[in-house]
Amino acid sequence: MIAAPRLRRFRLSQDDRRNLRTALPFIAPWVIGFLAFTVYPIVYSLYLSFTHYSGFGDATAAGLDNYQHLIKDPLFWQSLSNTLYYTALAVPIGVVVAIVLALLMNQNVREVAIYRAAFYLPTIIPLFALTFIFIVLLNPGFGLVDYVLGLFHIPAVNWLGDARWTKISIVLLAQLGAGGPALIFLAGLRAVPTELYESALIDGAGPLRRFYKITLPLISPVILFDLIYGTILGIQIFTPAFVLTGGTSGGGAYTAGPENSLLFYVYYLYKNAFQYSDMGYASAMAWVLFVISVVLAVAIMRWSKYWVHYEVT
Amino acid sequence: MVIATEENAMTLLPARGVKASLITLLIVVGACNSGGGTSAPPLAGCNSGTTQVLFWTSHTPPDTDSMAHMVTAFNKQSTTSCVKMVAVPGSETDIAKLTTAVRGGTGPDVYELDRFTVAERAAAGVLTDLSSFGAASESGNYLDFAWKEALFKGKPYALPFDTDARALFYNKDMLQAAGVDASALDISKGPPTIDTIRTMANKLNKKDASGKYTVIGFVPALSQGWHYTWGFAYGGSFFDASSCKVTPDDPKIVQAFKDMFWNWSGALGVDALQTFLSTYAPTTPPLPTEQDAFLTGHIGFVVTGPWVLSWFPQYKPNLHYGITYIPVPHEGDQPATWAGGWSVVIPKGAKNAKGGYEFMKYFAGEAGQRVYTKETQHMPTWKPLLSDSSLYQGDLSLFVKLLPSAHSRPALPVGSLYWDQLSTAQDAALRHSKDPAVALKDAATATNDKLQQYCPLAA
Repeated sequence: MIAAPRLRRFRLSQDDRRNLRTALPFIAPWVIGFLAFTVYPIVYSLYLSFTHYSGFGDATAAGLDNYQHLIKDPLFWQSLSNTLYYTALAVPIGVVVAIVLALLMNQNVREVAIYRAAFYLPTIIPLFALTFIFIVLLNPGFGLVDYVLGLFHIPAVNWLGDARWTKISIVLLAQLGAGGPALIFLAGLRAVPTELYESALIDGAGPLRRFYKITLPLISPVILFDLIYGTILGIQIFTPAFVLTGGTSGGGAYTAGPENSLLFYVYYLYKNAFQYSDMGYASAMAWVLFVISVVLAVAIMRWSKYWVHYEVT
Repeated sequence: MVIATEENAMTLLPARGVKASLITLLIVVGACNSGGGTSAPPLAGCNSGTTQVLFWTSHTPPDTDSMAHMVTAFNKQSTTSCVKMVAVPGSETDIAKLTTAVRGGTGPDVYELDRFTVAERAAAGVLTDLSSFGAASESGNYLDFAWKEALFKGKPYALPFDTDARALFYNKDMLQAAGVDASALDISKGPPTIDTIRTMANKLNKKDASGKYTVIGFVPALSQGWHYTWGFAYGGSFFDASSCKVTPDDPKIVQAFKDMFWNWSGALGVDALQTFLSTYAPTTPPLPTEQDAFLTGHIGFVVTGPWVLSWFPQYKPNLHYGITYIPVPHEGDQPATWAGGWSVVIPKGAKNAKGGYEFMKYFAGEAGQRVYTKETQHMPTWKPLLSDSSLYQGDLSLFVKLLPSAHSRPALPVGSLYWDQLSTAQDAALRHSKDPAVALKDAATATNDKLQQYCPLAA
């Protein structure tokens, strides 16, 4: 019963076909660009992952060599665990921070526009510049963060020089970009029907109860979106670690942060591709990362069935 | 006047679509074409009729100021080539900008490359073999170790540029203030022992009220106190040519790591030392030169190279410093140092390789190296210049004397991977996170894994 209408939907009428003929040339530039610059590199990288290739000359067939080497490579495992550790911290904290920001941006006060601009502002500063500001703030001798902690008699932390704190520093840094997701949450908040709050108020529900019983369930689709989006971005974390560890500047430390604690997956992939001229290995890493992303996204989607509400019931 | 019926409008549309896509295609093709090709007109300061040579360097001022002088001088005298120098991002081991540009067909004609990575980049296929330009005949003009670094499988892929050496610098005023007699460090008395330096340095250590170090006499790992530096000082060997294997787990190198990194940081306090380094000598981002920990008096001893000699008159004219050999493990040991340096290469796909080679011969030849030595206090690899004493004012002459006995890093197709692996082991030893013997064994395994595909390496 279900199959029949589906089949019918794919049978094009004469009009449909004429429309398609008309449309195709118009979208051709995008289609060609997508095929040449997205599909082709993706397929090519899959091929490269089964070869030894420096980026120049001919690729030589390597079978499963690169994938087998990944399993034996301690830096691969370290980069993977660094990345998962970072993602597991940064994504949930990011969701909480973004919701709090959105609630603040949603207050019914006259100067709310100023607050919205202020909270969003750090998001438009280039990550590169933000990272440099952070380095100064986190200096254990002169930095503002340790100075403030000192006022409360909290011992100074060597944020960027101690492997136990480097990833947490980047989690903190990532929160400066919470303005973007906060805007999406703000849109979600404004879509919650006000009559629900009004009836809850009449029934005597307090602000916390209104938040947990009305707001949170109704913005759960946005939370799901942010979780998946944040996870995909999180496991691709690169820029702050690259800048913090010296990246391409001469005289850098040559390790990715203390004890390679900032050797994130994509950073290690970059090193393999461009420092060690091992494109085959880097391609294999990229495909493994793709598989991990898919698994995580599917897992989050499945889990979401238990807590995401798409409509008021 | 044509009245468009629904029917003829429909038949017109596909044609419009085709036209639209054709126009788009033309725009795209046009944009792609305008990118390359046409020969640029000579730049200001160039002779007419010359063709452009694009030269990329990842160096920064003051080195690039001196290079600019060399480029100007070259352009003035060349009737065939006109060099345009461009500073690009990159480092000793990171050439992402170069490889992507070369692959995209927009690479430079000449690139300045760290010499110890020439074999690695040649093996990867990024560089042009210079044999056809007659580069092999240049071998006699250069220091032997520098020329060997420019070869891969016996063929020249680079012309050596500058070189350097490492020595121990000490702050005489700080030692005097701490009541230490620095006369024992006079270079005429030969190399000091590590114990001597440790005893002196410990007298300089100072902490503030909160217990944080504000001065540490000597941090062996700082500046040029690399794995290679101490490995060579202990008589270690980093590569075994006969088995084509790297040997960072040589017991002498393991001992160097234990003494100079593990035990030294243990004595100072692992976390306390890291806090000191993060405060006064962070590597990321590197501090501006005027805030260098040796110049600001936060450290009393440092292993570094001759280039700092050009810093002193500019940033700390009243600094009373001395220079001696890198300390040795035992009384009577031969002192050791190592020499590095840069080179110039022609990347694959260079549009003006012939002009590029003409510039390289000037830049890395006598004329260029003379200017660079004078202006930046680096040392030349051009042999005849080493005997020109007018070039080495003051302390630079000490470094020139170190050169003949200097070691150099093994020139391997996995040179930068090996460097990173050694740095990881060094970092682990400093932080007590992995025993040096284990860390260096891991470095050997990881590097040899990747090295095997290039073995055997031709001499």
